[in-house]
Amino acid sequence: MTEEKKTTKRLHANKELRRIITDFYADAHRAKAEGRPVGWIPPMNGLIELFYAMDIHPIFPENWAPICAAIGTSTNNFAYAEKKGYSGDLCGYFRNNVGYALDGIMEPNQPLDGLPKPDFLISFGAGCIPTMKTFQVLCDHFRVPVFRADLPQIAMEDIREHHIQYGVLQIKRLIKFLEDLTGKRFDIDRLRLAVKYTDDACRIWDDIMDARRAVPSPFSAAEIGIMFVMVTRHGTKIAVDFLQDVLKEVREKVERGEGVIPNERIRLFWDNIPLWYNMKLFNYFEKWNAVVVAETYTSAWTLRMDPDKPLESIAYKSLVSYPLVSCVSLGKRIELIKKAVKDYKIDGAVFHSNRSCKPISMGQMDIMKVLSEELSVPGVMFDGDHMDGGKFSMAQFQTRIDAFMEMLSERKGNR
Amino acid sequence: MNFRDLYERRLDIVKEQKRKNGSPVIGTFCSYAPFEILHSFGIIPVRIWGESGNIHKADFLLQTFICPPVRHLMALGLEGRYDFLDGIVHSYTCDAVCGLYNIWVRNLRPGFSHLISLPYMEIEEAASYTMTEFRNLIEKLESFTGKKFSKESLKRSITLYSEARSLMKDIYNLKMNGISVSYADISAMNICGQTLPVEIFLPELRMYVKNVKGEESGSRKKRKILISGSVISDTSLMDFIEETGGNIVADDACTGLRLLRNVIPEGDPLQSLAGYYLTIPRCSSRADFPSRREYLLETLTDFDIDAVIFIHQKFCDPHLSDHPFLKKLLDESGIPHMQFELEGDGFTGQVRTRIESFFEMLERR
Ligand code: SF4
Ligand code: SF4
Repeated sequence: MTEEKKTTKRLHANKELRRIITDFYADAHRAKAEGRPVGWIPPMNGLIELFYAMDIHPIFPENWAPICAAIGTSTNNFAYAEKKGYSGDLCGYFRNNVGYALDGIMEPNQPLDGLPKPDFLISFGAGCIPTMKTFQVLCDHFRVPVFRADLPQIAMEDIREHHIQYGVLQIKRLIKFLEDLTGKRFDIDRLRLAVKYTDDACRIWDDIMDARRAVPSPFSAAEIGIMFVMVTRHGTKIAVDFLQDVLKEVREKVERGEGVIPNERIRLFWDNIPLWYNMKLFNYFEKWNAVVVAETYTSAWTLRMDPDKPLESIAYKSLVSYPLVSCVSLGKRIELIKKAVKDYKIDGAVFHSNRSCKPISMGQMDIMKVLSEELSVPGVMFDGDHMDGGKFSMAQFQTRIDAFMEMLSERKGNR
Repeated sequence: MNFRDLYERRLDIVKEQKRKNGSPVIGTFCSYAPFEILHSFGIIPVRIWGESGNIHKADFLLQTFICPPVRHLMALGLEGRYDFLDGIVHSYTCDAVCGLYNIWVRNLRPGFSHLISLPYMEIEEAASYTMTEFRNLIEKLESFTGKKFSKESLKRSITLYSEARSLMKDIYNLKMNGISVSYADISAMNICGQTLPVEIFLPELRMYVKNVKGEESGSRKKRKILISGSVISDTSLMDFIEETGGNIVADDACTGLRLLRNVIPEGDPLQSLAGYYLTIPRCSSRADFPSRREYLLETLTDFDIDAVIFIHQKFCDPHLSDHPFLKKLLDESGIPHMQFELEGDGFTGQVRTRIESFFEMLERR
């Protein structure tokens, strides 16, 4: 057994990624300074394409939260939220973002200069309760124009035309709101282009993920940060170009037969959000020559967008993104995971039972059971939290994982 | 007479009715499942929920950080308490029940299951969207029951439920005006209204209202309390609050007053029904702050509330995240309030002490 290795990032693309992250936030501050509107919006919906098509800079608090966790400012934000009376049992994204928006935002010397305050907000009747409530708190706090959007929650397989059309109506209303706000006309051709970029990004994303089917796998879950462009730069060429570079690099690695670790023996699946404050955890498996080669989270981008139907496309994206990763449809989620487990030749599955995120955690026991009974892929579950390190015990993790990995190693050896 | 006895026997009554008439029984998890539509197909709709106790029985399906009512309901399902149900209809509210719906359907495999997703806003498009959602349910019910949907039948169902709702509201008003009914009775009435076949519930309710009207007004000295939360069903807790000096005259909870505030207008039954379900004063899972604010303020005034008790369930995201906002609102209105969380182990001594000190504090004011 080798010792835990230090490195977490092995793709060269990470250098470029760091620049993209810095630029994203710098652009936001620049937009603010130049008087272009900055809107805070919930993540993973089709409004981002609309924003970029109308020169509006989006801010996603849900993307800011992992940054705070990685840098360590989340603890501060949690304390602010608690002081305001928010229960410590609420999702860490909620607690971080509410604490940050209400108080943390005033602190000097913030990472990436912090977030520019919103010029308007979009409050959603969709997504999980914590996201919905985050925006309600923000709307109550920042005295800025609010657009209340409405989208029902539908399991992906149940989406019908009337759902999409309802979404389209909301988007049309939003366009009017944004036109009034900016004083600029909406140009549908620019939206088409944005939709095209997203479609391209999703295709390349699928290709990148497909490349991980190779044995050895060219990269592990520790590289999940590349998802940043899928969250914040959909609808732009920035995402497409970056992902193209990633794909190239990844494919070259596959051609060279270069894996994440020299001697890949065990391939793992990861369910639920990573522990953003402890990404090194993915390297823990290396001592058994094991690599996390697929995750539930990364499959949420398997979307197709049609530039000829831009409004329908972004409505559809808004409808499916959340249900795809959550418990809105357990059936669909199980189907996706079963497919991944076969496609990626998974030996075992690791379930992060995430105290913060009920919608993603509910149903994990069912998934684990299906994998073991129907596909003979064993699973292990540990208690954690994607934002709050105080709710994760390394000792429990080690006990569980060590036993599981020993078992997998033996199984593998006997085959 | 009171509803506590019927409350105890409610499931037996449903089972008996099912045996007698061969009516299918469909369970619902939240207030937004359209009872009237189910009823118009000859189905008995039965609201089911969890309380506290043996929540660990569902630990192999649900994590311990899921709210106690959901864990308890799953445990009851696993124990076979609801085996007499022929199906489940759920209307999307919070994440926890949505997860429960999926896990329930997967593990208990009811013969019929359907998830409705209602819009959140009362805009024009929302009404026609809701009608489409209702029509989808109707289509599925047609093939499930082998019966054709009939507007006339739906109208009849609406009439029955409307009469029940209006009489139940009368009870709240009578209590507000000093007639002594315990809140635990009102709660039993509410629950009977959502679990008993309406044909059985209604005659009992009519009689109950008549009897209550004949009663003397009790003392008005007690403080008028509003309780707020999700599922509040522990009668010993309600009794304790009323014994300690409170008079619970109103609630902002899943099974109570909110469902009684609006009436279903005349007109095309499906359209009227859509309108009703879209405008029920919203629970915290379906509302934004402005509409919660409006509803709470209105209720505080209508019932001349002296103090508010928040009865929350541990891990309940919607209510816990609304709490600081509502707290602020009450502070601004100068209305005292307290909050505690139930953890699935019932009405504990600690909660008892907190309530006592709250009333002592009110005395000193
Ligand atoms: S982590 Fe889960 S609960 Fe938290 S905001 Fe995201 S989906 Fe919602
Ligand atoms: S509203 Fe709260 S208590 Fe009710 S099911 Fe949802 S999370 Fe649980």
